[in-house]
Amino acid sequence: MLELKDLTFTAPEDDGAPARTIIDHVSYTFEKGLFYAVTGPNGSGKTTLAKLVMGILPAESGKILLDGTDITEFSISERSRAGIAYGFQNSARFKGTTFRDLLSIAAGTDDEEELVRIIARVGICSLDFLDKPVDAKLSGGEIKKIELATVIARNPRVAIYDEPDTGIDLWTIEPMVDLLKREQESFGTTTIVVSHNKTFLEAADRLLLIKGGKIAYEGKLPEADSLLADLSACNYTTICEGEDNAGCYR
Amino acid sequence: MLDAIDKELLRSVADLEGIPKGAYNIRKNGKLLGREVSANIEIDAHPDQEGIMVRIAPGTINESVHIPVILSQAGLHDVVYNTFIIGEGADVTIVAGCGIHCGGSKSEGHEGIHEFRVEKNARVRYVEKHVAIGPGKGKRILNPTTRVFMAENAWAEMELTQLGGVDEAFRVNEATLSAGSSLMISERVMTEGDQTASSENRLFLEGDGSRANMVSRSVLKGTSRQDLKVNLVAKARCFGHIECDAILMDRAINKTMPALEALHSDAELTHEASIGKIADDQLMKLMSLGLDYDDAVNRIIQAFLK
Ligand SMILES: Nc1ncnc2c1ncn2[C@@H]1O[C@H](COP(=O)(O)OP(=O)(O)OP(=O)(O)O)[C@@H](O)[C@H]1O
Ligand SMILES: [Mg+2]
Repeated sequence: MLELKDLTFTAPEDDGAPARTIIDHVSYTFEKGLFYAVTGPNGSGKTTLAKLVMGILPAESGKILLDGTDITEFSISERSRAGIAYGFQNSARFKGTTFRDLLSIAAGTDDEEELVRIIARVGICSLDFLDKPVDAKLSGGEIKKIELATVIARNPRVAIYDEPDTGIDLWTIEPMVDLLKREQESFGTTTIVVSHNKTFLEAADRLLLIKGGKIAYEGKLPEADSLLADLSACNYTTICEGEDNAGCYR
Repeated sequence: MLDAIDKELLRSVADLEGIPKGAYNIRKNGKLLGREVSANIEIDAHPDQEGIMVRIAPGTINESVHIPVILSQAGLHDVVYNTFIIGEGADVTIVAGCGIHCGGSKSEGHEGIHEFRVEKNARVRYVEKHVAIGPGKGKRILNPTTRVFMAENAWAEMELTQLGGVDEAFRVNEATLSAGSSLMISERVMTEGDQTASSENRLFLEGDGSRANMVSRSVLKGTSRQDLKVNLVAKARCFGHIECDAILMDRAINKTMPALEALHSDAELTHEASIGKIADDQLMKLMSLGLDYDDAVNRIIQAFLK
């Protein structure tokens, strides 16, 4: 169970631009073992919220609790060891570091058989990826698959994927959703996926809509059906006020 | 014949556990410690200078030569000229390297001037590692020079590394490339404390269809300093690329100067260079996989220098 209590993040003023509240007093409890889809317009604060949970950004006020333990003051590494994993929206590109390096750090072993087992479990990464450098030459889809594999290799209690489907080909979306569902069911992983993709939203047990740094809507899937009903136009303009067809949900 | 320090030095410069297989020439404190030749590989004293001539017969395939130099005598400054002739169509690996063990307060140094004649269609992989160890306060100095002459369609790959312990280094790499030949130089240098290292590279692309690629990666810790100059001079229809990245830590400083000179209108020359701290997003990624900050830094640097 992951609890956010009155969580706030303000971007400091920068070169004349005034300080701006990005995450605005968010309180929410993610239940253990459920699959959450988080959507909302660009710039609404989804990534910021995820980074606050991972400790990449410091909360200005509020608390984060993981299974009752207050982790608000934990470093990134400590949160990772406590069972939180985050797949970045924009993955880091390295020089020299290979997929094998990342995977063995994530899994805590460089045993070949173990790494091959993880790749098989992930399914969507080819074995030939293993010795590829994770550098600027990787395609957008390739790096996303690597990012996702490193999260799974952590065997996290809470897995947060930030737009894992960006750049992923149509043939891989379904297997990716199936994989995350399988992980959720077999290991009771609390799964939080930030996405604008219908397939992910439909796979979720709960849907969250973030707008202006707040949770504007939360619902179980059957009730949230109307949110998904019309693909051509957004039914939630009144709540969301995002740009028309901004791509948050189409 | 090999004491414990010799063995440690050999292990670090040539990945050798004792005496190598195949042809070799081991030099210790300015003297010959051991030599072995093979049917295709001759090693003789250099006719004009201190050093050796290594002649690899045309067509020699899949053989290797190890020529490590080890130094553990205080105050010794060893200068050696080695020439390698890689015969037509041969395909070989040459492993060189110098290990210094400094036990006292006097400086120790080695200056290896290596000349390679890579004949037509020959291929050579040259691996050179420089290390210095030992508790002594004396300066450890390593000044390698590599000159490469590449005949038509020759191919060479040079891996040059200096990973710590060396107080002063002045490195020079020069190459001349004939038509269709291809050269890849990858240099890895790590300095720490108040060490200095400078590397000067001049690559002349003289033949049509020649290719040169220089990839330099540096890590600078403490108050160390590195200077890198790479000049690509194109005199034909050719391709050249320079890629240099320096990671600065602590209070180290770096100067990187890639220079491209096209003296032919069909030359294609490119370069990329960067100097800076380890990128935050790289550190965050590794920490999000459970590593502490320091471990994350080390892993990034290890992979960068590999
Ligand atoms: N550290 C920061 N400093 C200043 N502004 C920030 C910082 N982090 C985020 N922002 C701003 O906060 C807003 C929310 O950004 P965030 O990345 O969380 O949006 P998002 O919902 O993930 O959007 P997208 O759908 O485009 O990924 C943006 O306007 C962004 O520019
Ligand atoms: Mg985002």
